[in-house]
Amino acid sequence: MIYYAVMAVLSPGRKIHAINNEYSYREPESSKTDRRMFSDSIFVSVNREKSFYQARVLMAESDSICLSLNLSDSTAILEIEGVAVHNAKISEITVSKVFNKADEYSVTSMRAIPFTIGNDYSTIRKEPLMIKLAPKDTSEYKPDILPDTASSEPVNYIFEMTNGTRLYVYQDLGENEGDRMALYMFDLKDRLRNIRYNLKSIINLKVPEYHPSIKISLAKADAKIIYRALPRHGLISVFW
Amino acid sequence: MESDGNNIEKPVREPADKRSELVGMLLLSFKKICHSTLKIYHNAILRLVFRKTLLVILIISMVLFIFSWFIYIVPYLQETSKREIAQLPIIAESKNDIAYKKQILQLGKDEQKLSRKFKAYTPGQSYLVINTTDNRFSLYQNKTLIRKGFCSTGSYTQLTNSEGSKQWIFKTPKGRFWIHEKITSPLWVRPDWSFVEEGIPIPPANDESRYEYGVLGDYAMSLGDGYLIHGTIYKRFLGMPVTHGCVRLNDEDLEAIYNTLNIGSKVYIF
Repeated sequence: MIYYAVMAVLSPGRKIHAINNEYSYREPESSKTDRRMFSDSIFVSVNREKSFYQARVLMAESDSICLSLNLSDSTAILEIEGVAVHNAKISEITVSKVFNKADEYSVTSMRAIPFTIGNDYSTIRKEPLMIKLAPKDTSEYKPDILPDTASSEPVNYIFEMTNGTRLYVYQDLGENEGDRMALYMFDLKDRLRNIRYNLKSIINLKVPEYHPSIKISLAKADAKIIYRALPRHGLISVFW
Repeated sequence: MESDGNNIEKPVREPADKRSELVGMLLLSFKKICHSTLKIYHNAILRLVFRKTLLVILIISMVLFIFSWFIYIVPYLQETSKREIAQLPIIAESKNDIAYKKQILQLGKDEQKLSRKFKAYTPGQSYLVINTTDNRFSLYQNKTLIRKGFCSTGSYTQLTNSEGSKQWIFKTPKGRFWIHEKITSPLWVRPDWSFVEEGIPIPPANDESRYEYGVLGDYAMSLGDGYLIHGTIYKRFLGMPVTHGCVRLNDEDLEAIYNTLNIGSKVYIF
């Protein structure tokens, strides 16, 4: 147990190191940059906005439905070729501390490239297909039953990005105890999955990979719309 | 003699008295516990039950601790593990440096350029947005929302013919589309699935039974690949996913959209 804890606690440090290495500033040979400006508040804020637009322009140039998360003004925007087609209000935000501990310039550079969804786990189906077998003749034919549009199923999902970041989207919890239980079970499953993964790495004497996370809560309807709209390997840009 | 209730002297209890009373009570409780424990100890059956209960509590606590350790404590430690942020020193003089100012200015210009580029993606002309999850539409003109309402989109039904040799999936495609054609008084040419669905043998391509008038409303707009935005006789289904992939609207919305969108106008479906 101690060994597991030590290895697991080491992993965020490795991730910070990896982010700093991969996205750090590479000085062009032609010009010299005063690196002190990277910690200037004006530079930091303009650079963050620039990287957000950079990511959104890249997404707009792709032929896909994309998601822009503006955590500073708590909005999630679905975009198709740069056109905002759906706006949702984010009610709760939690961002891994790793992003604050890594070098600011590196984290901003990381966000300048849209995150690509590699895998997802969800409590709802992406495409709610209903299987229907055609009748043999007209005597067997029955008109379609009206679809059940009452959304009783809880909506919680996780997007695992190819860069290691995870986006957790939870529906807003109201008074419904069932939804709370569903969220608890969903979270527990995710934690167990992480343990399994960590144990695999630790048995092989490797420090497990740490996945920095962004957790947001949305209205149930918005969470469902976003999940169903985004393609399997959709793109996401984040600003904070 | 003047005296009222306020003047009656009450016995003031010293804090030391309170403390000794509390200690006395604690001692008494301890004695009672010892006494009961001794009782249990002297009774063989009670002793066994006590031991077993203690063991069960211990095991449950251990399991809970191990569970919490892996599930909650370690992830918490991961999030709180300390590491200093590598900060570069801020030197006040650098802010007055011309080269430094130039770099900040350039960054601002780059940001503005990207912002303009991004904003230019939203068309100035009219466009339609269709939400297939909620079955709603929004019509925009000059980047302003001018009309919204209900529609019907694909039902996500997978139909397999009775022989199991062919399949159709009735879903509305997602992404960016454009109006290919505007049609008035559209005629519905029933595709094969329409017959298969009702258990009717599929007629030849140009058979008369394939043509149906008046079921698509007064107007239709083609999105390509056989997908249309059209009217419906099943108005009670608007707001529900019931179509075979086309987008159905009520008569008023259809007319407004038909009159607002032109050939080439963009339709965003998500």
